[in-house]
Amino acid sequence: MPHDASVSIRPPVLSPRMRRVLISVVLAAVCAVWIYPLLWMVSASLKDNAAIFANEGLIPERPSFENYVRAWKEANIGSYFFNTVFVTVGSVILVTIASSMMGYVLGRRRFVGRGLIFALIAFTIFVPQGYTIIPVFDLLTRMGLGQSLWGVMLATCGGSFVIFVLLFAGYFSQIPNELEEAAKMDGVSFIKTFWFVMLPLARPIVVTVVVMQTLYAWNDFLLPLVVTLANPSIRTLSVGVYAFRGENFIDWGGMTAASTISILPVVILFLFLQRYFIDGLAGAVKG
Amino acid sequence: MTGVSLKDIKKSYGGLEVVHGVDIEIDKGEFVVFVGPSGCGKSTLLRMIAGLEEITGGDLKIHGQRVNDVDPSNRGVAMVFQTYALYPHMTVDQNMGFGLRMNGTPKAEVAKRVSEAAKILQIEELLDRKPKQLSGGQRQRVAIGRAIVRHPQVFLFDEPLSNLDAELRVATRLELAKLHQKLAGSTMIYVTHDQVEAMTLADKIVVLRKGRVEQIGEPMELYENPANLFVAGFIGSPKMNFLDLEGGEGLTFRFKDASTVALSGDAAAQTAVLGLRADQMTLSEPDEGHFAGTVSVVERLGDSEFVYVTTEWGQELVVRVPGGTNTQMGVLTGVVLSGRTHFFDGEGRSFPVFRSLWTKADINRG
Repeated sequence: MPHDASVSIRPPVLSPRMRRVLISVVLAAVCAVWIYPLLWMVSASLKDNAAIFANEGLIPERPSFENYVRAWKEANIGSYFFNTVFVTVGSVILVTIASSMMGYVLGRRRFVGRGLIFALIAFTIFVPQGYTIIPVFDLLTRMGLGQSLWGVMLATCGGSFVIFVLLFAGYFSQIPNELEEAAKMDGVSFIKTFWFVMLPLARPIVVTVVVMQTLYAWNDFLLPLVVTLANPSIRTLSVGVYAFRGENFIDWGGMTAASTISILPVVILFLFLQRYFIDGLAGAVKG
Repeated sequence: MTGVSLKDIKKSYGGLEVVHGVDIEIDKGEFVVFVGPSGCGKSTLLRMIAGLEEITGGDLKIHGQRVNDVDPSNRGVAMVFQTYALYPHMTVDQNMGFGLRMNGTPKAEVAKRVSEAAKILQIEELLDRKPKQLSGGQRQRVAIGRAIVRHPQVFLFDEPLSNLDAELRVATRLELAKLHQKLAGSTMIYVTHDQVEAMTLADKIVVLRKGRVEQIGEPMELYENPANLFVAGFIGSPKMNFLDLEGGEGLTFRFKDASTVALSGDAAAQTAVLGLRADQMTLSEPDEGHFAGTVSVVERLGDSEFVYVTTEWGQELVVRVPGGTNTQMGVLTGVVLSGRTHFFDGEGRSFPVFRSLWTKADINRG
C-alpha cells in the first residue's frame, strides 16, 4: 500500500464496554448452571428431610444445623475425617516426592528406552480407573495391606501419578543445563542438586501437584469404597457419606451435611493456593 | 611452570570428530584467550578442561597431573558461564557459598570466603539480593564471585561478556583485566568469538578454526605476523584487506584490473595474495595510486575515518584516514599501498618477508 493511501475507519457495532458487559452476562449464566448442584447440596443440608423435596427454593425457610450434628455424631464423620486426612497427607507426600524424582530423570537425562518409558506412561492415562481396581485390591491383599489405612493411602497414590510425572518432566526439561553444570563444577552431588537447586525451582509444579493430589485423594470414592468394603472403620469421608443411604430410607439431610463438611477443607485449600495452582498449570502449558 | 597442558586433545560426537588433536601449553598465572568463529570448538575445548565434556583422545594435565577422568570439582578449576547460571531462588550470599556448604565446609569458613570474594568484586551490599534483582553486570560479578570462593588454580570463562550491552562489556572487560592482576598466580582461560576481547585481555591468544589450532601467540605477535590468511583476517579491526594477485611475467604481478605491481625477494615468486590493514593504505588522486576505485561509504569515528573503496574489479577495501579528512562518497580515488604489507602463498600461508614501504617505482599502471 502506498504511504499516502487513506484508510477508512469503520466504527464497531458494539463498543468495547458493551462487549465486555455482554460477555460477562453470558459467562455468569453459565457459572450459575455450573454451581447449582453445589448450592443445592448446601441448601439441602440446612433443611429437614421433609423440606428438601417440598420445592421451597434454595433459601431454606427454617434453616437448622441439626443435620450437621447428626452427621458428625451418629455417622462417625469425625473418625472418617481423620482417615481422610491420613490418606490425603500421606499420599500427597509420597506422590510429590516420587513423581518429582521420576519427572526429573525423565525430563533431564537422555538414556536408552526413555522414549518407550514415556510412551508407556502416557498410555496408562487412557486406562479407566474402574479396570484397575480389582488388580490393585488384589495387590494390596497380597502385600497384607488389604485391611489397613496404609493400604488405602498407598492405593490412592496411583490416581494421577503419571500426569504429575509428565508435568514435572516437562518443567525440568526447560531448566537450562548451565544450572546443573554449575552445581557439577561446585562438586554438588546429583541428589543434592535435585533437592537444593531443581526442586525449589519447580515450586509452581510442586504446588500444582499438591493441590491436585489433595483434591483427588480427598474426593476419591470408587477406590476407597472397594478397599474398605469389609472394614468400615477405615472408611474415608466420601465413602462414609455414602453410608447415609439405608436400605429403605435415604437420609438426604445427613448426607448433604456430611458432604458439605467433607468438601469444606479442599475449598479452603484451593482458595489459599489458587494463585500458585494456576501459575503452575499455565507454566506447564506454556512450557 | 606449566599450569594447563593439552596434548593431542580430540573430541568426537559419535563418529563426527569436532576437535582434531589440539596441543596447547598454558603457563601458570597466564591469561589465555581461545578465540575463533562459532563452531570452531573453542567452547568444547573449555568444557573438556572443565570436565563437563568427556575427552575422546589425548592428555589433559593440570599442574602436571593427568586429569582426563577426574571429576570437575576435583580438578581445581572453576567456571563462569555465559548465562551466569546463578541459582534463581538463592540470594547472592547463598549462591556464592552453595558449593562450599554442600561439601561440608564449616560455616565460618564459607562466610569468610564469601565476604572476601564480595570485597574483591565490590558486591558486598548485594549479598542479600536475589539474582533477578541484579543488573546484568552485577550478575556477572556474582558468577565470578562463585568461582573465586572455591580458590581455584584455573578460572574458566565461557564468553562471559556476550550477554552484556556494549558499554557494560567494555567496563567489565577492564574489570576482568584488573581481577587477573588481583588474583595473581591464578591461570585464566577465556573463550570468546570477539577478537577485541582477545586482543585486550590476553597474555596469549589461541586462534581456533574447525577444531584445529591456527596459531598461538601474544596479541601483537598475531597482529603483526599472522601465520595465515585466516588469522590475518580474524585478528584486527577493521578486517585486513586481501588483494588477489594474478601471475604476471617474472616478479611482476597483476591485480584483477590491468594494474601491475612488482615484487622482489626470495619467496616473491610464490606470492598469491597481498594483505594490507586499513592503515597500511592511503588515498591519492585517481591516477596516482597503485589502482583506482570509488568511495562507497565513509564511517566517521571522530579520530579517524574508515573509507570503503570499491575497486574497479568490484572488491570492497577499507582504508583508514585521519579524522576530519571529510572524504566524499561517490568520488573516484586512487589507492596507494604503503607501510607494512603481508604476503600469502596460494594456500593462504604467510611469508616472513614483507615490504615496509612501497615506492613509486613499484607502480606500473597499465
